[in-house]
Amino acid sequence: MELPLFSVIDTIRQLGWTGFVELTRNGLALGSLYALIALGYTMVYGILKLLNFAHGDVYMIGAFIGFGVLNAFGGAPSPSLALLPLIVLMFLAAMLGAGALGVVIERFAYRPLRASPRLTVLITALGVSFFLQNSMLLLFGAQFRSYGSFQLGSGNPGAFEPGPLVDPLFTIVGVNVQMIQVAVVATSVGLMVALTLLVARTKLGKAMRATAFDREAAAMMGIDVDRVIASTFFIGSVLAGAAGVMFGLMFSQIFHFMGFLAGLKGFTAAVVGGIGSIPGAMLGGLLVGLVEAYSQGYLGGQWSDITVFAILIIVLLVRPTGLLGARAIQKV
Amino acid sequence: MDPERDFSELPEPGEPGSPRVGVDEWVAQADQLEERPTGIAGVLHRVGEVVTPPLRLALFVAFAATLPLWLSTGDLFNYGIFVLLYVLLGLGLNVVVGFAGLLDLGYVAFFGFGAYFYALLSSEHYGIHWPAIVTVPLVVVSTACLGLLLGIPSRRLLGDYLAIVTLFFGQAFVVFVNATDPVVAGKGLTGGPNGIADIDPLSFFGFDVTTRTQQYYVLLVAAVLVLVALHFISESRTGRSLRSLREDPLAAGAVGIPVNRLKLLAFAIGSGIAGLTGCIFGTVLTAVTAGNFDIPILITIYAVVILGGFGSLSGVVVGATVITVSFQFLAPENPQSNARLLFYTVIVLVLALLVRSWWRLALVLAVTVALGLSVHAIVEAVAPSWTGGAVVEGGRFADAIGNWVLIPQEHANFGNFAYVTLVVAVLVLTQIRPSRRIFALPFVAYLAAVVWETSFVLQPAVARWILFGALLVVLMNVRPQGLLGTSRVEIV
Amino acid sequence: MSGDPAPLLELRRVTKSFGGLRSVDELDLDVREGEIVSLIGPNGAGKTTVFNLVTGIYTPDEGAIRLDGRDIAGLPPHKISQLGIARTFQTLRLFLNMTVKENVMAAAYGHTKAGVLRSVLRTPGMRREEREIERLAEERLAFFGDRLVGYRWEQPAYSLSYANRRRLEIARATAAKPKLLLLDEPAAGMNPVETHEMTELIGRLREEGGYTILVIEHDMHVVEGISDRVIALDHGEKIAEGTFDEVATDAGVVEAYLGSAGAERK
Repeated sequence: MELPLFSVIDTIRQLGWTGFVELTRNGLALGSLYALIALGYTMVYGILKLLNFAHGDVYMIGAFIGFGVLNAFGGAPSPSLALLPLIVLMFLAAMLGAGALGVVIERFAYRPLRASPRLTVLITALGVSFFLQNSMLLLFGAQFRSYGSFQLGSGNPGAFEPGPLVDPLFTIVGVNVQMIQVAVVATSVGLMVALTLLVARTKLGKAMRATAFDREAAAMMGIDVDRVIASTFFIGSVLAGAAGVMFGLMFSQIFHFMGFLAGLKGFTAAVVGGIGSIPGAMLGGLLVGLVEAYSQGYLGGQWSDITVFAILIIVLLVRPTGLLGARAIQKV
Repeated sequence: MDPERDFSELPEPGEPGSPRVGVDEWVAQADQLEERPTGIAGVLHRVGEVVTPPLRLALFVAFAATLPLWLSTGDLFNYGIFVLLYVLLGLGLNVVVGFAGLLDLGYVAFFGFGAYFYALLSSEHYGIHWPAIVTVPLVVVSTACLGLLLGIPSRRLLGDYLAIVTLFFGQAFVVFVNATDPVVAGKGLTGGPNGIADIDPLSFFGFDVTTRTQQYYVLLVAAVLVLVALHFISESRTGRSLRSLREDPLAAGAVGIPVNRLKLLAFAIGSGIAGLTGCIFGTVLTAVTAGNFDIPILITIYAVVILGGFGSLSGVVVGATVITVSFQFLAPENPQSNARLLFYTVIVLVLALLVRSWWRLALVLAVTVALGLSVHAIVEAVAPSWTGGAVVEGGRFADAIGNWVLIPQEHANFGNFAYVTLVVAVLVLTQIRPSRRIFALPFVAYLAAVVWETSFVLQPAVARWILFGALLVVLMNVRPQGLLGTSRVEIV
Repeated sequence: MSGDPAPLLELRRVTKSFGGLRSVDELDLDVREGEIVSLIGPNGAGKTTVFNLVTGIYTPDEGAIRLDGRDIAGLPPHKISQLGIARTFQTLRLFLNMTVKENVMAAAYGHTKAGVLRSVLRTPGMRREEREIERLAEERLAFFGDRLVGYRWEQPAYSLSYANRRRLEIARATAAKPKLLLLDEPAAGMNPVETHEMTELIGRLREEGGYTILVIEHDMHVVEGISDRVIALDHGEKIAEGTFDEVATDAGVVEAYLGSAGAERK
C-alpha cells in the first residue's frame, strides 16, 4: 500500500511551521462547527438514548435558511442591508427556524415512540433524515447554492473583490487568520459557554440533567418531561442552525447533502468525546476538526476521512465509552 | 366479614374447603380462554397456521420458478433478480439483527467486500481469472472472517456503540473503495469512483452463467438453500441460544450460553451470506462501484427486514418483494403510468386502513372525487391558467385526471407549495381525534393527488426516497413488528 | 473440623468495591454439598453482589472463590454455569418473548453439543439431542405440578402470572443441570399460599433434585422453613452464622435490621 511514512515526514517538513499553523487554524474553525453539531447529538442521546440521525439535516436546513435571508436582501456582493445586521438576522432566522424544526420532529416522529425499543426509534430517525434530505432536494433541486462569502460586503458587484469576511484579522508566523474564521471560533465558544452555563446554573439545566439521569424519577419530582425534552431538541437544533450559517459564511457552498457528511463527523465527535457528555462533545469536535485538517494537509485528501474513522474506532476500542464518557456500570 | 372472627379456624391450604387463593384454575379452562384474532388479521393468522413453512417454501419456489416464462428479460432483471438479491441480503441481516439482536449498521460493507473481492479475483482488473468454484467459497469464507474481525471488538461495546462502530466501518469501506483506492501492483486497487468492470460470469464446470434467466435461477437456488439452512438453524439449539442472547444477554450467560462466541457466530453467518450475495451481484452487473454499497442500499436492506418483521424468514421474502417492486415502479426509467397506479393504490389502501369499514371507504373516495371535480371546475371558470397544465404520461387516464386534479400551467413553485402544505396537513391529521378524522381525509387525499401530479411525477427518483423515508417513520409508529413479525414485549 | 468433605462452594476473604463503596468486605463463606443455606441481611448488605461474584458477573477485587475445589473467580459467566452453578434473579430475567418450554430448553445449551453444521444438515445425532432437550424441559416443568405443562408450553413467557414466572425461572435454572442453585429472593412478591408452596418447593428441590441451594430471602418464615444454616450479612460483612434460631436472636442481626433502638427493646 502506498503510504510510505517517509513521504509523510517529508510533507510535514516541507510545510513547516507555516503549514502547521495554517492547518491548526483550519482545524479549529472546522472543529468548532463539529463541536456545535456534536452538542446537539450528545444532548439528545443523554436524555433519550436516541442517536438522532436527522440532526445533520437540521444543520443543513439552517444553512439554507441563512441563504434564503441573504438572498432576500439581494445576496453577495452588496446586499441591501448593512453587513453586520444582515448576518445577525441570518443567524436569528436560521437558529429559530432550525430550533422549530427540531421541536416539530421530536413532537411528531419521536414522542409517540417514547416507550418503544431503541431500534425502532433509530429506524425512525433514519427515515426522518431521508425524508428531510430528499424534501429539500425536491423543493430546491440538486445544485449547489453559494453564499458568495468571499465577496460578501465588498460593495462592488462588478469586480471580484474580497469582502470584509476574508480580511485577515491578524497574522501568526506569516499565516493569515481571516475575520470569518475568528468570528466562527469566537461565536462557537460563546455559544458553548452559554450552553454550559444554562445546563449548570439554570432551573431548566437542572431539569435536563435530572431527566437525562432518570426520566421516570424526574417526572415524579414534578418535572415536565415533555417540555424538557422539547427544550433539549430546541437548543440542540438552534446550535446546529448557527453552525449551518457559519459553514455557509466560511465555505460559501451549501448543498442538500452537506448535512449527512457534517452530521457524520459531528456524530463521530460526540462519540469520541463520550456520548452524553457536553464537555466531551466540545472536545471531540475540536479533535475531529484538527484530525481532519492535519490528515488533509499531511496525508492527502483521499486519506483524511479514513483517518477520522480510524481514530474513532481506536478511541472506542481503548475507551469504549469515549474520552470523557461515563463508565457504564450495569446494575444487576 | 366479621372482624372478630378467629382466623385460626380456617383450613390449611390444600385441605378440602380451603380458600382457592393462588390455585391455578386456568389449566382446566385453557380452551375457553384462548383468544383468536378476528377479521382480516384472523384470516391471515389461520392461513399462517395451515400453510406451514415447508408448504410456504414449496409455493414460493413453484411461483418463482415460473417467472422467467412470463416476464420479459428486462423485467426479470429489474424485478426477479433484484428481489432475490434483496431476499438474500435481508436473510443475512436478519441473522445479525433479527436472530441475535445486534445492531449492525455497516452490513452493506460485507456485501461490497464480497463483490469487490470476487471482482479482483475474476475480472480484467488484474487479469486474474480464477474459476468460480474456487473464488466463491474463498470470498464467502473471507467475508465471514471479516465479520468475525468486526465482531471481536463488539464484545466490549454495548448496543448503541456497536451501531456506531459498524456504521463507521461501513463508511470507511465506501471511502476506502471510492477515494483512497491505494495503488497496488501498479494500479488502483479498487478502481476509485469507476470501480471494477468486466467481471467474469460465474462458471460451473465449463458452463457459463450469462443470460438473465440463468442468473435468475442461480440466485433462486442460492436463496432457497439459505432459506432452508436458516430455518434449520432457527429451530435448533443455536437458534434458541441466539434468541436468548437477543432477549437478555446477561440471563443467557447465566444459563451457560457463551454469549460472545454466539455473537461472533451471528456476525460470521450474516456476513458470509452477504459475501455470497456480493459475488453473484458482481457477476450479474458485471461491474461494481462504491455507490452500490452505500447508506441508501443499507437502509433498503433494513427496510426489507423491518417491513417483513425481524426474525421472520417469510417476512424477509415478503418485504423484499414489496420494497423492490415498489421501488421499480417508481423508478424514473419506468413509464410514470405504472408509478401513478402504485401511488393511487397506496392512497386507497391507507384510507382503507384508516376508516376500517367498506362503506365509509366508499364514502370518502366518493367525496374526494367530487371535491376534486368541483374544485377543478370552479378554478377553471375563475382562473383557467391554473388548470391548463398537462398530465405527465397520463396514458388512458390523462383526461380523467386532468379534469380532476389542479395542474397549473406553471408547475414548479405550485408543486412545492402543495408539497409543503401536504406535509403540514398530514401532521395535523395525526393530531385530530380519530372520530373526526374522516372529515379531513378527502381534503388530504385530494391534496396528495395534486402533489403527485404537479411535483412527484416530475422528480420520481427523489419522490421515491421521500416516500421511503415517510414509510419508515409511519411503519415504526404504526406497526413496528412489520408485516409478519410478532409484537415483542421489551423491558425498556 | 477434620473428616468433613471440602465444601462445594468456598469464598475466602472476598472483597468487591464499587467506586469508594465496599460492597463485599473480606467475606468468608462455605456451602457444603446437600445443604440449604440462607443468606439474610438488610437491603444493601451485599447479598446479590455475592451472587454476582459467584456467578461471574463481577470479578472480586481480592479473595478466592472455589467450586468443588476449583478456582472460578474471573471466569466468564457461561463457563461458571457450565461448571455447575445456576441462579435466579431478584428482578426476574426471563426470555419474555420466547415460549415457556423454549426458556427451559435454552438452558440446556451448556451440556449439549450439536453445532451449526450438524443443525443445518439435521444429522440423526442432532435430532436425538433435540428430543433429549425437549424431554428434559418437559420434565423440569412438570416439577411444578400442573401449572407449567400442557398448553402452557407454547405460551410466551410474558403471558405468565408473576408467581408462574418465578417458577419458570427456577425450572430454567435446573435445566442447566447445576450442582449448586442460587435463588435470589424466590418468594418476593408472593402471597401467603404461594410463599408456603415455595418453601415446600425448595425442600423438594433438595430431596428430589439433589441440588445444593443457597437462598437470599427476606421472608423469615421461608428462611425458617428451609434452612440448615443461616448466614447474616451487613455492609458486606458476615455478622452471624448458625441455625435459624441462633441467628434470629443474635444481637448484631437484630440491630442490623431494626436499628439500635430495636436491639435495646429486645
